[in-house]
Amino acid sequence: MKDYLQRQVEIFTKEENKKIEELNVMIAGAGGLGTNQAQQLIRMGINKIYLYDNDIVELTNLNRQLFYGKKDLGKSKVECAKNHLDNFGLDTEIVPVEETIDINIEVPNDIHLIFDALDNFKTRFVLEDLALEAEIPFIHGGIESWYGQVAVIIPEETTRLKDVFSGADKKEGTPSIISPAVSVIASIQVLEGIKVYLNKENILKNKLLLVDLDACSVEKVNIKST
Amino acid sequence: MKIEVKFYSLFRLNLKSSGIEYDIDGAIILQELIDKLDEDFEGYFSEKLLDSGEIRTGSIILLNGKNVLHLDKLNTKINDGDIVTLFPPSAGG
Repeated sequence: MKDYLQRQVEIFTKEENKKIEELNVMIAGAGGLGTNQAQQLIRMGINKIYLYDNDIVELTNLNRQLFYGKKDLGKSKVECAKNHLDNFGLDTEIVPVEETIDINIEVPNDIHLIFDALDNFKTRFVLEDLALEAEIPFIHGGIESWYGQVAVIIPEETTRLKDVFSGADKKEGTPSIISPAVSVIASIQVLEGIKVYLNKENILKNKLLLVDLDACSVEKVNIKST
Repeated sequence: MKIEVKFYSLFRLNLKSSGIEYDIDGAIILQELIDKLDEDFEGYFSEKLLDSGEIRTGSIILLNGKNVLHLDKLNTKINDGDIVTLFPPSAGG
């Protein structure tokens, strides 16, 4: 066991602790959700993160994307993210992938989970197709203003994002976002992902978690395929 | 028959309401439910959910957890005990 994980050992069984250290994930997007997810996952001591993003750091990213500062403007997000995370000297391997998510990309063949860290439903639907094709659980999250949602998509087992959010891929405009709200949604995604990977009960299967941080309320809504 | 309509996200914030229950005589379709909501919320829902007489892209309407775009859209029949969930999805990251 990694020597810095002592404080989380009792939360899991011996087998689960071992499994967490073998976990490989793909994070699709190195923006607000993706940087928060990566931060949480390396602190949990997972084995490897493939971090996908083809963008450079821009000024409007700095209100919520944890690994970048003004000195990084114009630099590759995934390279900055790798440098930032590697500086902690923790053992998780960070693999930066400068690619845009589209249907032609090759999903790494050693991953156990795919985390949605995207900023639009059009690409989310593509990512979901990739996850279903590769038969890998897909952990959806989205955030706008004080509100967000999380869902777990398991191939051959749950309803698809594309069914529930039909039409959302045509929504236009740039969502307003604040950092603490992004962190809440990303943290719930990571927790759900870990639970799925460890075959825990009480995961968000066929349920949509609707988070309202203005009203401090969290509600589960049943979702069904058509 | 009883129908429960739940609002989430910006709908809830704008209307300062988490939803409404209706006790209605006879069958009803989604368009008629939206008309009814408009009466109670000053035309808010036809503005948010409809565009040129069709369901506006980007607003989610679930009937018992199913997106009505995969049912009968505005003609979707609503039955006793049904739950209608309305929200704009959060797209950002």
